[in-house]
Amino acid sequence: MKKKLTLLVALTMVAVMAICGCSCQSGGSSSADKKMVIGDTTFNSENSEETVNPHNSYNGWACIRYGIGETLVHYTDTMTLEPWIAKEWKNDGANTWTITLKDGVKFSNGKAVDAQAVKECFEHLLATHDRAPKDLKIASMEANGNVLTVTTSEPNPALMNYLGDPYGCIIDMQSSDMNTGIVTGTGPYVVKEMVTDDHLTVTPNSNYWNGTPKLSEITIKTITDGDTLSAALQTGDIDAAYGMAYDQYPKFQNDKYQFSSIQTSRAFFATMNMESPVLKDEAVREAIAYGINKEGFVNTLLGGHGVVGNGSFPDGFSNFGGDKVKEAKKYNQEEAKKKLEQAGWVDSDGDGIREKNGQKLTIKWLTYPSRQELPLLAESAQASLKEIGMDVQINNTANHKQFRKDKSSWDVYASALVTAPSGDPQYFFTTSCLPGSDYNYGGYKDDDVTKLVDDLSKEFDTNKRGEIAVKLQDEILDDDAYVFCSFLQMSLISKKNVKNYTAHACDYYEITADLDIE
Amino acid sequence: MKKINVKTKLIIFGILCILLLLFSIFSSYLTPYDPNAQDLSMANQPPSSEHIFGTDRYGRDMLSRVIVGSQASIYSTLLLVAVITVFGTIIGIVCGLSGKVVDTVLMRIADIFLAFPGLVFALAIAGVLGGGLHNAIIALAAVSWPKFARLARGQTLAIKEEAYIEASKLSGTTVIVMVFKHILPNIVGTLLVTAVLDIGTMMMELAGLSFLGLGAKPPIAEWGSMMSDARSMLETQPWTVLAPGLAIFVSVMIFNLFGDTLRDFADPKSRGRRS
Repeated sequence: MKKKLTLLVALTMVAVMAICGCSCQSGGSSSADKKMVIGDTTFNSENSEETVNPHNSYNGWACIRYGIGETLVHYTDTMTLEPWIAKEWKNDGANTWTITLKDGVKFSNGKAVDAQAVKECFEHLLATHDRAPKDLKIASMEANGNVLTVTTSEPNPALMNYLGDPYGCIIDMQSSDMNTGIVTGTGPYVVKEMVTDDHLTVTPNSNYWNGTPKLSEITIKTITDGDTLSAALQTGDIDAAYGMAYDQYPKFQNDKYQFSSIQTSRAFFATMNMESPVLKDEAVREAIAYGINKEGFVNTLLGGHGVVGNGSFPDGFSNFGGDKVKEAKKYNQEEAKKKLEQAGWVDSDGDGIREKNGQKLTIKWLTYPSRQELPLLAESAQASLKEIGMDVQINNTANHKQFRKDKSSWDVYASALVTAPSGDPQYFFTTSCLPGSDYNYGGYKDDDVTKLVDDLSKEFDTNKRGEIAVKLQDEILDDDAYVFCSFLQMSLISKKNVKNYTAHACDYYEITADLDIE
Repeated sequence: MKKINVKTKLIIFGILCILLLLFSIFSSYLTPYDPNAQDLSMANQPPSSEHIFGTDRYGRDMLSRVIVGSQASIYSTLLLVAVITVFGTIIGIVCGLSGKVVDTVLMRIADIFLAFPGLVFALAIAGVLGGGLHNAIIALAAVSWPKFARLARGQTLAIKEEAYIEASKLSGTTVIVMVFKHILPNIVGTLLVTAVLDIGTMMMELAGLSFLGLGAKPPIAEWGSMMSDARSMLETQPWTVLAPGLAIFVSVMIFNLFGDTLRDFADPKSRGRRS
């Protein structure tokens, strides 16, 4: 009896081990069953990406990034538009746009994408999204077969650019579940499982209209900590990483890994609080602009993985890049000191910090840690501004949105923003430079700028739009309302056996039908 | 090999503790470079004759930051230990001397604090209060006082039954006088030894909170936050982590050895056996 029992236990153990072995093997990647895991720092609620519903906040980025949704137009790496779901589009020179859709485009549920489906999608977008109505200015839409006629409330030259924004992903309103945020798009993959702040698993869209997805399953693991992301890639828990910290790059600069890098218009910049008693003094704003060592920040702290900021857009960006604007203030401590002294800020008690009318020159610097560059910028600015007699007190907090609302709690807000997400300059100026606009956290107001933004919003000629955008940057730099420190060079890192995990200038397209693993 | 007796060890480790304290008091005069001055052209330099512990990502001299970091790390720890010792002792004596109700209420509160894992609870408190060295000290103090309260209470309960306390009460001595004249002098030795033994632990826990980003704020040099700032560079620039780590190791070791020796010295049985 005892022997039989021993034999039974032994057989059970062998069976369990065999089952475990089989299940472990099934997790690997064979040619028939290609699975890939991507570590990503951005798919999380802190980053306002809780789901893949493009009509909710910034969730559209997840929708388009992870291959679930697609937009009418696609951005090239020079940020010009090319057809995607739309075949062609034309404007009558005023408020009417005629958009013709491609034939054969299908949602992942097999339903054909026609103008009526696009119209329903946009109607929901305009009813629910915070930015889209202001960007698109759509007054009415008419669907006829594959032709969508859009009428805007006023001339909107950038309409098609805006429709390439992730919120413009075309989703089927009949089958999308807006409560859970799992939508039916036209992309190469569909959501299999979504656990916010943990992971998103996608599987191939069997009805994909533009090729055959090469992977049987992709899991996007939310890994917000840079060290964990690095360790996960090193140990092989993930096959590729999005958002790797710069100081981790040397670990992957070898034969086992590959980089895909590209210049983006994601700016790291300082917003001046124009309502702050200290920053109302123009000399202080000027001194801050002169006192930040942008070159040192980019070349040393970012390891050269970026470019120094001049204007609102990177140098060479279309016809309104930073190189076109008059030169922004460069790091010059003597000039900064001179400005402060002329304005009456002097260090009378010898503690290294200047005073004026008994008030210390203290700058409250608000920033947040989820963009790894920002704390580095804060600490670098703290040291360089101290040398000109400013005491910078850093508040580096994930709760920055709450602090940001209280204008008395900060003087400078350092943040990151893609300034030309649609390849057009209008977005930055309308969202960040007009009184009351969504991202004008510092309360910047300038009548000339407001007039120029109005001109820009009505101008259809690309060259003239570029000229206005350059003038606008000159005005903003003159007012020292913003200090553009650097622009991100984005790098995606993957194992050598990963194919087509490619960085794009717009930072939207990460998972495509071509993504593969050997 | 001849064994060193407890008294000699006490003197040696005591001197080392005093040297460490003096070192931290005068640390700002001992730094070869300005510990907060950034020189990006010298960033991430490995240890050399010019920079013995190398430089960090901002080009700051690591040796200078480790030296000046002793102020924040050691002072904060001593302040923390002082706070929990004094506060815990007061609560313990109050519980020991007062009636059942006060004793029960205060000890149940202490039990609540003891029911949580200390560092995890401290993390939660520091998280609510926000970052900064002061808040880290408050957080750790909030979870560490019950130990001293229980110890002081136990000692007080034992002493208050002694005949000389009864005699003192009969002679009309006030409670305050009795505490300072009879109770405190008899329990202070045990509490002091416990406090010294706790210095090392508290230093580690404070460094732990700083490491998790809930301690010192930039540009203050503090060993735990220095390790935290540099942790991503452990593989590529290990000196940026090892230098403050070594400082924590040496300091904790000195305080622990001093505490152990002080305990041995205070214990008559142990003293008799070892000397």
